[in-house]
Amino acid sequence: MQNTSMLGRVAWNTLITLLYLFLLAPIVIVFIISFDTRQYLAFPPESFSFGSYVKVFENAKFISAFWRSLAIGAIVGIVSVSAGMLLSLSLVRYKFRGKAAVNFLILAPFLVPHIVLAVGVMLVIAPIGLLDSYPGIVLAHLGITIPYTVRTITMSLMAVDTRVEEAALVHGASPAMVFWRITLPLVRPGLIAGAVIAFLISFDEATISLFIVSVKASTLPTEIYHYLEYSTDPQIAALSVILILISIGVVVAVERLVGLRRAI
Amino acid sequence: MADHHVIIENLVKTYPGAQKPSVDHVSFSLPRGEMLALLGPSGCGKTTILRMIAGLIVPTSGAIRLDGRDVSSIPVYKRNMGMVFQAYALFPHMSVAENISFGLEMRKVGRAEREERVRKALDLVKLAGFGERKVSQLSGGQQQRAAIARSLVIEPELLLLDEPLSNLDAKLRDEMRDEIRDIQARTGVTAIFVTHDQDEALSMADRLAVMSAGRLEQIGTPREIFDRPQTDFVASFIGAGTFFEGKVAGPGVAAVDGLPPLRFVGEAAVGSPVRLMVRPHRLLLAGEHGQPNSFTGVVEHIVYRGQILTLSVRCGSRLLQADLPTHAGVLPQKGDQVTLTVAPEDVTLIGREAA
Repeated sequence: MQNTSMLGRVAWNTLITLLYLFLLAPIVIVFIISFDTRQYLAFPPESFSFGSYVKVFENAKFISAFWRSLAIGAIVGIVSVSAGMLLSLSLVRYKFRGKAAVNFLILAPFLVPHIVLAVGVMLVIAPIGLLDSYPGIVLAHLGITIPYTVRTITMSLMAVDTRVEEAALVHGASPAMVFWRITLPLVRPGLIAGAVIAFLISFDEATISLFIVSVKASTLPTEIYHYLEYSTDPQIAALSVILILISIGVVVAVERLVGLRRAI
Repeated sequence: MADHHVIIENLVKTYPGAQKPSVDHVSFSLPRGEMLALLGPSGCGKTTILRMIAGLIVPTSGAIRLDGRDVSSIPVYKRNMGMVFQAYALFPHMSVAENISFGLEMRKVGRAEREERVRKALDLVKLAGFGERKVSQLSGGQQQRAAIARSLVIEPELLLLDEPLSNLDAKLRDEMRDEIRDIQARTGVTAIFVTHDQDEALSMADRLAVMSAGRLEQIGTPREIFDRPQTDFVASFIGAGTFFEGKVAGPGVAAVDGLPPLRFVGEAAVGSPVRLMVRPHRLLLAGEHGQPNSFTGVVEHIVYRGQILTLSVRCGSRLLQADLPTHAGVLPQKGDQVTLTVAPEDVTLIGREAA
């Protein structure tokens, strides 16, 4: 009896370990390859250097696309949270006709494949002349980020006791003051989590971006995609490692700041 | 009445889609510095009245006058009310001092004056030194005190309290009951509090307004409400008692089914139907027979409650409830034959409810 249960535990632990290794393997391999000195992607590397990292920083296309992605992500984050706040307020606090329909529409982008969304968004954005422009890509990204921000903010808002807001009203705060001094601070974790998620989604979104942007508003993921069409060298691996580190950095910072897991 | 501080006139609230009004033509008034309890079972409309006075609910009709001025059209945040909520509703993201200071900030009071007034308010509710604490670090009783301080620091027209003691445990409740009464007396603020607990209402309020199903049943001092209930509802809601249906047989005498004639004090036309009530503590053990209002019967049931003994005595078809002090010599046992008497002035004549 003792032995079989021991055996079972060992088997279980092995399975879990293998599963994690399988999940992490691509990242580990990319990390190792990024230090390879050869001019093509292969595993295992023959010799190691920081050469690829230097090249990434010297690649003007990557650098300018990085700044564009950063700006687009920041704008998408801010706009998603603002729109998400208004939507959440109306969904949580007010009763109106067609509320269930609005709720479903907000959820819809979760259900539709990105490639389908991409075609649809392109067909909407093209006639209004916003293809390959900042407003165009921001609008396209908002479509997929707002469902997430509405979720995180709605969760925070539902946890706010409306009597606390009433107490502020009674003691002299105008409705606008109640919003600024009471409601907004109390949903802050949801706002920050929503902004971070929106930023991260926008920052590494490729499918929809490929349909919307070409040259002027190209984002880092689209630049990576185009780069891979013609060349496969460890620069891509180095760039990937940098992007992973940025994502981890943002998540850890927010986790420390407000507790991302609690907010989601 | 016209010079009273607070006057509520024909207040009505009918919620959209509701068949009957939640508050139905309620009128009452308070002189300055009075503490009034709105008492009634849950759903009687007492909280709705409190929220209408605060401005959180818009009345369907009627007036709320403060010093003669109708405030019902003034928005909630300009009414200058202080309100203590049932679960206190302190601002969870602010310190105790910031909570108390909030109303002053909204009134654009300068920093130095704000700090001074917050300090005084903390002193008033015995929370000196707790200003920097977070709300979550306070006990239930301390949160209650902080909520009272937040309401009083703005020197409100009126202090409104919604079931202020219902979230506290029994021991703390007694303590806070005295505390609230004391704070109200010291500040002289006019106060209205809502409760479903008759002991709370009787012990804390200068006057009680008893409500049922949206209507005001009776308003009066605790003694008036307890000893001279004017409606069946008030008589049965406040305290215990034995009720008698009867007919007036002569001046101050009623014929009651299955019992000797009952003598009472009060005006009632001969021949008219009456409803009478005797409180359990007004029934006394009689030494001898033959006194007016004496009933002989057999003890059917005894409950020992420490200071008092509650007897159920079978007199003919009636069961009489009597509370006897346990220090009163030899106490009756179950099955004993006893004679109970009640003084005519202790027999309450209940005013007939308007049909």
